[in-house]
Amino acid sequence: MDIHPILIALRKHKAGTLLIALQIALTLAIVCNALFIIHQRLDRLSDVSGVDESNLFVMVNLWGEQYSTDEAAAKIEQDLATLRQLPSVQDATPTNSYPLAEFDWDNFITMTPDQVGHTTDAAYYVGDSHFLRTLGLKLIAGRDFRPEEVQNLGMRQSNQPPVTIVSKALADKLFPNGDALGKHFYAMTSTPLTIIGIVDTLARQEVDSWSAPYQGQSMVVPFRLAEPWGLRYVVRAKPGQLAAAMREAPKALYAENRMRIIPPKNGLLSYAQVRANAFKRDRGMAILMGIICVVLLAITGAGIVGLTSFWVGQRRRQIGVRRALGATHRDILNYFLTENLLISLGGVFIGTVLAFGLNLWLVTRLSLDFLPLTYVLAGMVILILLGQCAVFAPALRASRVPPIEATRPT
Amino acid sequence: MLKMTHLSKVYRTEVVETYALRDFNIDVKEGEFVAVTGPSGSGKTTFLTIAGLLETFTGGEYHLDGIEVSQLDDNARSKIRNEKIGFIFQAFNLIPDLNVFDNVEVPLRYRGMKSAERKERIMNALERVGLASRAKHYPAELSGGQQQRVAIARALAGSPRLLLADEPTGNLDTQMARGVLELLEEIHREGATIVMVTHDPELAARAQRNVHVIDGQVVDLAEDPRFHTAYTAAAGQVRS
Repeated sequence: MDIHPILIALRKHKAGTLLIALQIALTLAIVCNALFIIHQRLDRLSDVSGVDESNLFVMVNLWGEQYSTDEAAAKIEQDLATLRQLPSVQDATPTNSYPLAEFDWDNFITMTPDQVGHTTDAAYYVGDSHFLRTLGLKLIAGRDFRPEEVQNLGMRQSNQPPVTIVSKALADKLFPNGDALGKHFYAMTSTPLTIIGIVDTLARQEVDSWSAPYQGQSMVVPFRLAEPWGLRYVVRAKPGQLAAAMREAPKALYAENRMRIIPPKNGLLSYAQVRANAFKRDRGMAILMGIICVVLLAITGAGIVGLTSFWVGQRRRQIGVRRALGATHRDILNYFLTENLLISLGGVFIGTVLAFGLNLWLVTRLSLDFLPLTYVLAGMVILILLGQCAVFAPALRASRVPPIEATRPT
Repeated sequence: MLKMTHLSKVYRTEVVETYALRDFNIDVKEGEFVAVTGPSGSGKTTFLTIAGLLETFTGGEYHLDGIEVSQLDDNARSKIRNEKIGFIFQAFNLIPDLNVFDNVEVPLRYRGMKSAERKERIMNALERVGLASRAKHYPAELSGGQQQRVAIARALAGSPRLLLADEPTGNLDTQMARGVLELLEEIHREGATIVMVTHDPELAARAQRNVHVIDGQVVDLAEDPRFHTAYTAAAGQVRS
């Protein structure tokens, strides 16, 4: 198909051509940025937490009475014994928080006690000698906590155990040479924390964008959270017995001591629910962006159908003349497909510039990442295909205009 | 060159059948200049559209340049229109978005001709109709006579075996009509076969042979007193 006469004809229909090209350009700019955001958000949905999510659940336990630190510690011991005895439960551990919990507890990390400014930031978990096993964390160097290392952490206590287990991400950040084991650092106290173990992956509690630079940097200290108001139990069910364990565990705890509250709302969550809650906003944003993309693409497609249908109606006699002069059905079909392709190419060219411009604005205003070229290429392909699909029906109608149309009175 | 035998064209609706052509017979030899005349609604334009393969017919046979066309598919009919037939329409039918050069080029592009050959043919055709200097002009910038000359150039550029003209001077004033007619006569003298539909007796008189159509049939003028009377009266009005 020769494009020269089509380009000449398009020059005579500047307004319609320009409007559709601009619509394609704007759609491309928005759609490829939206696709990029969707992909980033969806990527986060599959962030690895490092824990055995399929068999874990979390239980919030609020005490019904005011306990001293020692009383609370004793109650916790009692609860853990009860939970661990359940036939469906493999292990249980008390903690302040857990990966993807959304409420963060983090510490600035320094390499010396008097360092001005921090080296990095780490999510802060407290756990006993069952913490690693219960969560299913993979110890890749060093050892787990010993029971005698675990201290009770009561209200307003500021003692700091001298040992810690860190995630590989934190170990590598602090000691890039890979020799973190046995080394120490400081976590907002003057007590040096010696690294006695390194786990492969332990995600942070929060999924907010502020913590992105510290992704995967976590530390566990051997504390038992014996505060008067309560704590969280993370329970690991035996394989395939999660539902049974989630039914049995609250009953067993209430049977043992009724002076507690396990909140009916979000007091008992499977890890699937924890993950769903953590990424609710990301999923919502991805859906919203997806809807915007679909609506924009539909409007652009409808615009192309409308304009081409109008042009076909307007040029019906001209099509008849072309048919009379020897154009086949295919020639006419190709004419309109090529015409649309040329408009689309113009549109995606402008759209590419707009897409990067919009992305630059998002980068400077909303700290988004730079748009990879692949998204723009994908957007170009989508819009060109959309254009060809949208123009096909009117082009097919045009190709069916009979040559006798050339002789009809105007 | 063009031979129709017992050809018929019927338009059917649910309640009525209308014969546009009935037992239509015509034989145009190569190099002839034939005028097809007849009153409005007689079927002469239907004859021309069937002759030009712009529409199909209902019965009978039609041989064009030795090819029986009734069984041809749409692509084959398009190819014959493109290669063997040149059309000259009453309303010129130029494409307004294209300039004179590009208008003449349209059928040549559908033939898949190379650019250099196209250009040579277009310029030859435009020179022949005296419009080479207007190649970059658009149809709206030309007079009716010039537009019809462009249409003739478009028809000639493809070196067709047969030129079909439908009231070629119908939209032109007398002076312009004369110029177009002289051009057609010149083309005929150079060996082209021309079939021209017209209701203009003066124009028909310039053709080599007249074929009269009435009620969808070719009739012998001498044997049809009604047509003869009407025709003579019309010719008399033109002369006066």
